[in-house]
Amino acid sequence: MFEATNELGNLVLSTGGTLTDPNAAAALAVGLAALGAGYAERGIGSAAVGAMAEDDDLFVNGLILTVLPETIVILALVVVFIVG
Amino acid sequence: MSAAGSSNPEYVVARVRARRGSLYGDEEYRKLTRMGPAEIARFMEESSYGAEINALGSRHGGVDLIEYALNRNLAEQFDAILDWSEGSLYDLIARYLRKFDAWNVKTVIRGVYTDADQSAVEVDLIRAGEFDDRRIRRLLEADSIDAVIEVLEDTIYGEPLREAYAEFEETDVLVPLENAVDRAFYERLLSGLGGDEPTRQYESFLVAEVDFRNATNALRLARSGADIDPAAYFIEGGDLFTRSSLARLAQNLDELVEYIGDSQYGDELGPALRELEEADSLIAFEHAIDAALLAYGDRLGTVHPVSVTPVISYILAKERETENIRAIARGKEAGLSPDEIESELVIT
Repeated sequence: MFEATNELGNLVLSTGGTLTDPNAAAALAVGLAALGAGYAERGIGSAAVGAMAEDDDLFVNGLILTVLPETIVILALVVVFIVG
Repeated sequence: MSAAGSSNPEYVVARVRARRGSLYGDEEYRKLTRMGPAEIARFMEESSYGAEINALGSRHGGVDLIEYALNRNLAEQFDAILDWSEGSLYDLIARYLRKFDAWNVKTVIRGVYTDADQSAVEVDLIRAGEFDDRRIRRLLEADSIDAVIEVLEDTIYGEPLREAYAEFEETDVLVPLENAVDRAFYERLLSGLGGDEPTRQYESFLVAEVDFRNATNALRLARSGADIDPAAYFIEGGDLFTRSSLARLAQNLDELVEYIGDSQYGDELGPALRELEEADSLIAFEHAIDAALLAYGDRLGTVHPVSVTPVISYILAKERETENIRAIARGKEAGLSPDEIESELVIT
């Protein structure tokens, strides 16, 4: 996946140099942050569902812990405002 | 579910940890040792064994009911764990749970050998391993040892059993067959384990178990003084003994005790070994071995929180719980006092 991102970057750079554009870089930053959040939620989500299957009362805790990594994306959004 | 795809330790560990919380603790055991069999059954009905006690309550009673409910609950819990896990996690857990397959094969063979009733054999099976219901039904329907081996033809037990069958026909004792099953299980247990850190921890636990099994066998042989070749009982894969060193040490109890005391397990087993020398009782030593394994399992469960080790730790604790409850129920039936029963339990 990361190799593919690299290749994509190379391709974009060689065709027009769009990645040096601050807006494009900020967009990439948000995208990567979202990817990281998604990966983190994968593990937490499956653990939360497992815990809920054993004990229904854990639903609220599980939900909160599962969406916690979303904060990374919100922080990454700040970059967009700074650059834009 | 299967050994394909990536593994999902997060899910399985979360479920297993929740279940671990509902295992009996000191307090429950203390209560149980003061109850009669009927009260124990009722106590179990109100805890996590409710479904099994209710299902079996109409057909069995007393200590038998407790025993069968324990077996069935164990099988259901372990089957569920295998159901949840995927990928390499499944492989690692199935390795350990195959010991119930080995147990079932041995039980069926013994049942055929003694001409036992099919239903009598069936209640003694623990359906926690990899064999599905169809294979178990075919095993139960087999009316000769040859037929049993035929059913197992495509499993890991097929070939070793076939080889041991000739010896069985000559001598008409079950030892070669049972050894073949045990060896097939242990060979498979330790072969081709992966290389990451949690798996290595798991492997060293399995090696310790093989070592302890060898040590107990050797101690039993040395104490009984029977004229049996100790090498026939040797299980491959341990660190502590080799086939020849086990054969030599099993001749002499003092040397054997000293050897175990000087080994890497000396710290854990030291007190029990001293007791063995003084009181001449193997029971305390075997309990010490169980406690050492269980403590090892507990430690395993916390070092690598998201890996196979907490699952194995739970499996061990659960097995221990069923054995403890069984000991309490059987002790009550035999009329032992609560204190005597408590000394039989292994609690960490």
